[in-house]
Parts: sequence; C-alpha cells; structure tokens
Amino acid sequence: MIFWLIAIAVTAITCAALLYAGRGRPVNASPGESADTTNHFRQLLAGIDTDLAAGKISADEALGAKGELAREMIRAKAEAKPAAAGFGRTALVSGAALVAAVALGVYALLGSPNLPAQPLASRADVAAQNMDLGDAISRIEARLAQDPNDIRGWTVLAPALVQIGRFADGANAYGRVIALSQPTAQLLTDQAEALLLAADGAGSSEAMALLRQAADLDAADPQPRLYLAAELTRTADYAEAARYWQSAIDLATGAEPWLPAARQGLAVAQNDGVDTTAADQAKMIGGMVKSLSTRLYDEGGTVEEWTQLVRSYIVLGDLPNAQKAYDASVAAYPAAFDRGELDTLALRAGLKLNGDAQ
Amino acid sequence: MSIELGHFALILACAIALMSAIGGLTLWRSGERLASVLAQSAILQFVLVAVAFLAVVQAFATSDFSLALAANNSHSLKPMIFKISGVWGNHEGSLLLWILILVLFGALVAAFGRRLPADLLNLVLGTQSLLVVAFGGFTLFTSNPFARLAQPPIEGADLNPILQDIGLAIHPPLLYAGYVGFSICFSFAIAALISGRIDQAWARWVRPWTMLSWIFLTLGIAMGSYWAYYELGWGGWWFWDPVENASFMPWLAGTALLHSALVMEKRNALKIWTIFLSIITFSLSLLGTFLVRSGILTSVHTFASDPTRGLVILAILAVLIGGAFLLFALRASALRQGGLFAPISREGALILNNLFLATAVGAILVGTLYPLILDALVGTTISVGAPFFDLTFGALMAPLLLIVPFGPLLPWKRADMLAAGQRLVGAAGLAVFLTILVSALGGVSISLAPLGLLLGFWVTFGAFAELIERGRIGRIPARESLRRLAGLPRSIWSTAIGHMGLGLTVLGIVSVTAWETELVTTLNPGETTELAGYTVAFDDFAQIPGPNYMADTGHFTLTAPDGGTSKLDAERRTYVASGMPTTEAAIATFGLSQFYLQLGEPLDNTHVIRIWHKPYILLIWLGAIVMAGAGVLSLTDRRLRVGAPQRAARQTMEPAE
Repeated sequence: MIFWLIAIAVTAITCAALLYAGRGRPVNASPGESADTTNHFRQLLAGIDTDLAAGKISADEALGAKGELAREMIRAKAEAKPAAAGFGRTALVSGAALVAAVALGVYALLGSPNLPAQPLASRADVAAQNMDLGDAISRIEARLAQDPNDIRGWTVLAPALVQIGRFADGANAYGRVIALSQPTAQLLTDQAEALLLAADGAGSSEAMALLRQAADLDAADPQPRLYLAAELTRTADYAEAARYWQSAIDLATGAEPWLPAARQGLAVAQNDGVDTTAADQAKMIGGMVKSLSTRLYDEGGTVEEWTQLVRSYIVLGDLPNAQKAYDASVAAYPAAFDRGELDTLALRAGLKLNGDAQ
Repeated sequence: MSIELGHFALILACAIALMSAIGGLTLWRSGERLASVLAQSAILQFVLVAVAFLAVVQAFATSDFSLALAANNSHSLKPMIFKISGVWGNHEGSLLLWILILVLFGALVAAFGRRLPADLLNLVLGTQSLLVVAFGGFTLFTSNPFARLAQPPIEGADLNPILQDIGLAIHPPLLYAGYVGFSICFSFAIAALISGRIDQAWARWVRPWTMLSWIFLTLGIAMGSYWAYYELGWGGWWFWDPVENASFMPWLAGTALLHSALVMEKRNALKIWTIFLSIITFSLSLLGTFLVRSGILTSVHTFASDPTRGLVILAILAVLIGGAFLLFALRASALRQGGLFAPISREGALILNNLFLATAVGAILVGTLYPLILDALVGTTISVGAPFFDLTFGALMAPLLLIVPFGPLLPWKRADMLAAGQRLVGAAGLAVFLTILVSALGGVSISLAPLGLLLGFWVTFGAFAELIERGRIGRIPARESLRRLAGLPRSIWSTAIGHMGLGLTVLGIVSVTAWETELVTTLNPGETTELAGYTVAFDDFAQIPGPNYMADTGHFTLTAPDGGTSKLDAERRTYVASGMPTTEAAIATFGLSQFYLQLGEPLDNTHVIRIWHKPYILLIWLGAIVMAGAGVLSLTDRRLRVGAPQRAARQTMEPAE
C-alpha cells in the first residue's frame, strides 16, 4: 500500500512539473521563430563589425561577408512561415493524464509491488546455509552419542559423512538407519556405495552382499545392478557381469546417461574382457585421419582442422607424423595467436615447435 | 521497495517520453510553450531513469538476489567495483545504461538549447523521446532488468570472469556515450527534414554533439581494444570481430560527419550529405546494438540469445532507420543547396575524405553482414576473416592517409594544389628519411612495412605543416613565431593534433605488424629463455587465492638488453562460481614498447609459456587518446560553442592565403 502511495505521489509531482512548465506565459510582442532568426543574423553582423574594427579582416572582406549575410537573410525571410497557434490547456492536461495512466497501468502489468527487497546481509536463510558442514556434523554426532536411536539424526548424518569423505563412518551410519527402519533398495545401495568408496577400488564382499540384497528387493532399480556389473567385470566374473549389465539395460527407458557405458560394459563382458570397440574405433580413426591429411596437405585448411589432424596422430601414437603435421600447420599459421590450442596439444605430447630454435 | 520504485521510475520515464514524442512530433509548430514542456519532460526523464539505474546498482551492491538480474550476474564475493560494473555487464543492464545515456543527452539538449528556435527544439526533443519510447519499451517488455524472484537463490551465478575487469567497467559507458550521442545528430537531422529548414546555425549546433560523441566513441573503442589486448591473453589488439566492426563503422561514419559538418558550418555547403551522414551514423550505432544484442553473433558481448528480442530490435531498427530514410527521400529535395566551390579546395578535400571513409564503412559492412546473410538465406557458414578486412580497409586508408596533410592547407572555395604541396615538402622529406633509417635499422624484408611507415610519418609530420605556415616558423624571429602560434584559433591546433594522433596510431600499427616477435615454449620454474634480446627467468610457480577465484601464478623476472630488470606475474585464474578460467597476462612496458607474457596451460610436468615483444604498440592507443584530446580542444574553441556564434562570421569568409 505504501508503495502505491509513493508511486501516485511521484506521478502527481511529475505531472505537476509538466503542467507548471506549460503554464501560459505573458505573450511576447514578437513571435518566437522569426525573432530567433533575426537575432541570429544580427549577432553574425555584429561579429563582422567587431572583426573589422579589430583589424582581423579587411574592409573588402567585411563587405563581402555582409553581402553574403544579407542574401542569406533574405532567403530565410522568404522561407519563414507563420507560426501555428500554440497548443491549449486541453492538450497539456490530456498529456499529463496520458502520462499518469500509462505509467500506473504498465506498472500494474509488469511490477511486483508486494515483493520486499532482500539484501544478502539481512537474509535469515543465508545465515543458516553458511554454517560449516564440519561443525554441523560434529553437533549431530554429539547428539547421537546421547541418543543412538535417533533415526532422523542418522539419516541426515550418513550422506554428509560420505560428502566430506568419511566413507567408512558413512557406511556405518547407513547401517544404523537400516537397522532402525526397513531396509530399502536405495538405503542398501547407498551403504554399499559408501563401503566401495571406503575400500578405494579394492572391492568389498560386504558391499556385494548388500547390492545383491538390494537388487532382489527392487526388481526395477538399475542402480544396484550397475554397481554389481561393474564390480563383477573388475573381478573378471564375466558371465554374471554380463547378466547384470543386460538386466540394467533392460530396465532403461533409453535416455539414461549411463546407457552407452552399460552397453559398452556388456560388450566387454560378453567378449571375456577384451574391448573390441576400441580396436574398431582405431581402424575408423585411421581411415578418417588418412583422408583428412591428404586434403590438408593438398589444399590446406583451417587451424582447427590441422589441430584435429595433429591430435589424431597423437592419439594413434604416431608421433613422427604428428610432428610433420605440426610443422606444416605452423608454416600455414605462423602467428602463435592463431594456434593456441594446437601449441598446447603439441607441446604436451612432446612435439617440437620450429619457433624453439629462434 | 527501492527496486520496485526504480521499476516504476523507468516506466514513468517512458510514459513521459511517449507524451513528448507524440506532442513534439505532431504539435512542433506550437512554439515556446510546448518547447518548455518538452524541455521539462527531458529533464524529468533523465532524473527518473537515473533513479531506476541507481536502484539496480543498489541491488547489485547489496547482493539482493530477489532481483533476477543480480541473481544471474552477480556474486556476493565479487569486489565492489565489479558488483557495480556487473550492472552493465549483461543484456538487460546494458540496455538500461543505453537508455540512461540517451535521456542524459536529451536533458543536456534541453538544458543548453534554450536559444534554439522553438520549432527545432520541439522536433529534436520529440525525436529523442521517440527513441526513449522505442528502447524503453523494448527493455520493459522483452528484457526487463527489474524482473523479480520470489524465492531468491542463496548465491548469484556470477559475472563472466573475463568481464570482471576494470577495462570493462569503463569501456561500455564510453562506447555507449559515443553511440547514443549520435542520436542527437540523428534527431537534429530528422528535425531539419521535417521542418525543411537547415542552415549554418543548425550545423553549429550539430557539430559539438558530433565531436562529443566522436570523442567518447574514440576512447571507447581504444579502451575496448586495449582491454581485449591485455585481458584475452593473446596480445591481439584488433580482431575484425563483428562486434568490433559494429563499433568501428559508426566511428568511421562519425569521422566523416565531423568533417562534412565542418564544411556545412563554415561554407553552408554539403547540407544534404551532412543530413544523410547523421542518419547513417546513428543507424550504424543502432545496427551495432542489433548485432550485439540480438544474439546473432556469438562472442563475449552477446549476452542475449533470445530470438524474440532479436526480432523486436530488428523491427525497431526497420521502423527508425526505414522511417528516417523515407523522410530523407521525401524531403531532401526540398532543402536548398549550399555554397559553390571548385574541385580543388578545402571543401573538395573534405568530400574526398568523406568518400574514402564512406567506402570503408561499406566494405566493413559487407564483410560483417555477408556471412550473416548468407547463413540466414542459404545456410552456408563462411567466415570473412582478417585478410579480407586488412586488404580492403588498408587499400582504402592508404590514399586517404596520403591526402590527409593536404586538407588543412587548402583554402576554402578554390585552392592551389601546388602551393599546398610546396609547404609539405619538409614533412615529406622528413618522412622519407625516417622511413629509410628505420627500415635500415629494423632489417626489413620485402613487405609493405616501409610504405606503412612512410604514410605514418607523413601524416604525423604533415599535420604540423599548417602550424609552421601560420606561425611563419623560420621566417620571422622565434619569439614572434611563438606569439603567432599562441594566438592561433584552437580549431587549427585541434586539427593538427588530431591528424598527428592518426599518424601515431598508423605508426604503432605498422610497427607491431611488421616487427613483432613471438616465442612459444615450455618452461619450468628455474629455467630461462630469450626473446628479442630480453631474458625471461621463470622464478617460481604458486597457487594464490583471490577474492572469488583461485590463481595459478607464475613469477618471472625479465632482463632487458640494457640490464634493467622487472618482475612479471602472469596468472591463470579459475573462478569459483562458474568454474571458468581466465588468463591474466603479464605486461612490462619499455618506453612505448611492451613485453607480453602469457602463462599457458599447465602440462604434466611443465608449463606452456607464450611471449611476445611488441615494439611501439602503445602508439596505437596513444594516437587514439591524442585524437580524442584534439576533439576536446576543439570543443573548448568558443567559436564552436552554442550561444557564441559572433566570431564564427570571420570563419565564413576565411581569407584565402
């Protein structure tokens, strides 16, 4: 409400200022426009006289200037048209009314008059957010030491412990949650994940047991299956791994981000751990690189294409050809400015820049 | 509530502008009463938009993320200066800045225009208000900076890190002051076309505005170029990027306008062409806004990528520019032609200048728009790169630079080319001598560099020919010469200094292009390398936290050939909020030359280091600053000021020497 009062007051002041500016003044004896023009010429004329008196121009020049001025003035007089009648009070008042109506109307359409300002320093939600995670954890742990059956406390604590890297404690906390409630597939997977993270890539039979339990518990959850499949692939148990990869893929709807990785995992597991896709890719890259290099050496190309060629040779491990392509691209693009990414790529792979010799 | 009051103030300002536009353009013959209402309205618009702008600044400064703009572009950890500059480091805020400058110029016309004929003032302020309505409406309805969030986020998304720089705090306001300043010339041109009256008083009014806008644009472009040079980390100072071209085209057209307005003011000639240039210059400013704001171009400048916005701006552009040219087509023939002159005369030289500049604008316009149009029509993506621009622009500028020194020496109306040439013999001789000397010392292979040097020296020294002539230097006692020089009108000094600035810029460009050396290598702390006689030692490497970023910092010691050393710190920063990296190059200045070091990407066990030696590069920007300074000097010449036209009468009849 206060906002609208202020807004209306501002509008009223503004309109008053416009009306004040347009108030009728005592009418001048001469109409504005021609007075302006005459005045302008009078000043120019006076200027010529001043210059003549000061000796800046000769009498001849002064005469010529005056003549030009006179012609200019006659022309201006001929062109001058009578000024139209001034606009009336009605026009002025309706203009002010237009201003008020448009301003208040558009603001009503676009504004959010009831939304308060929320500078960061005075916001309560931010203060809560800024509390240190470590502090919060130790506070909850202290409370759980008093009351170890507080399921809410363990539920909050478990993911926080995993987040700060205390995986074993996190797994333990998930275990307490499961003990205090019903085991769900999600909770079991979370606990297994924490155990696997704590084992740091070494695997964990306890985690495997939990994952199998989770997979049995929820036939529609791909997550425990993916973990199982990955772990089984790692331990070279390909037959079972392939089964879990397949069951996870069967559960997918097609848009999952993990799907390509799962398909590749399945292919690897079905082929007893040998990644044939990589060999296929290498063959394909080889063919592409060949056509690209032929074109670039024959016709030249953009610096991005050269970069692509050098990168391909490096990926294929063909350093002599990479060096050759790099030399050719430096010759084509001598300014370092053009070759930012290319130089980094080449130097990282241990190639030599011609410029090194300078 | 301050945000909402700011929002209301902006809307109220647009409403007043709407009233002014309708009143000014329909009732312009109503005389002084309307003029005082419009003047009052112009000042109110400025006050209200300033309030709106301050409201946004305040929201950014206090990190009020209930303002969507602040939530999307600010961060509570940013240093205060970048919180404030963040206001215009985005689409909505920069439009608000654009409008603020637009109404500021309108208010200045209202404040200083009391002596203008009432009908002219009515039309100018009416047109100016129409622009406020167009851009204000666009801002409010498609890009509202006052959009609010009922559930503000805890932290803002931060400003693009490369924009968190002092150069960016200054560059847009300068550039916008230049762009928007030309709106005044545009409004005057429209006023002249509608009223059918155009005279020397008109030119005397338009020229200071052109000069002022041109000064801002010159400084803005130079600042942007220097910013790109040190912040983008590649040591490039001009990329022929469409966005750079978008600011360069109005500058070229504005330079042409500056010179043609001179002819009109002094000789009452070239009226229609001056009007045409006024419209063109502002149209190019609008085109620049369109290119940058519509999302057509992808670059650091393009904050907006919403197609509706692009279409609306295109529509505004079509109506304003199309309308202006329609008016021009209908009314230009009604304007009276001005004074006559022979082909070889000061007027003729200025026309030649205008021809070259206009052609250069055309070439850049084609190079900038052709890929966009081709992409839109055929779907083929091509890129018109630096080689095209270097070749066409260079070829157009070379003859222009050749004639620059002649211009000021030619008298009005009719002139003697030979006489002017004789006075330039000294400058030409000096330029040839220095070019041969520098080329011999610099070791030039066969290239265009000596030609460029020759032009640069020629323009630089040729600029002084008129001073030498007028001061009768060498022909009368030195004391007497000094007295004469001190007594010369400032416009003569400003012409000489302005042209000299151009020469300096040319010299800088030629020098850097021809003699820049560079080195890309890998370096570990403790190792050294060499470039152009300088030794660079990589002292140590450290990670240093900044207020809102982490910096990988390399400390280097640079030893110059003369034994002097300087410390260089080059950084690669990673900003916390966005995770985006930036490169902070280390630059050491030796006289007018610079040594530029970029800490490149970290490799497994070493660092990529890129080093450039840029001889006399500072001349490029020094020249621009000298040009802008010459503009300021010209503005202080009281004969160009409004309200003091009496002394200009002498100029009308400048005696032939």
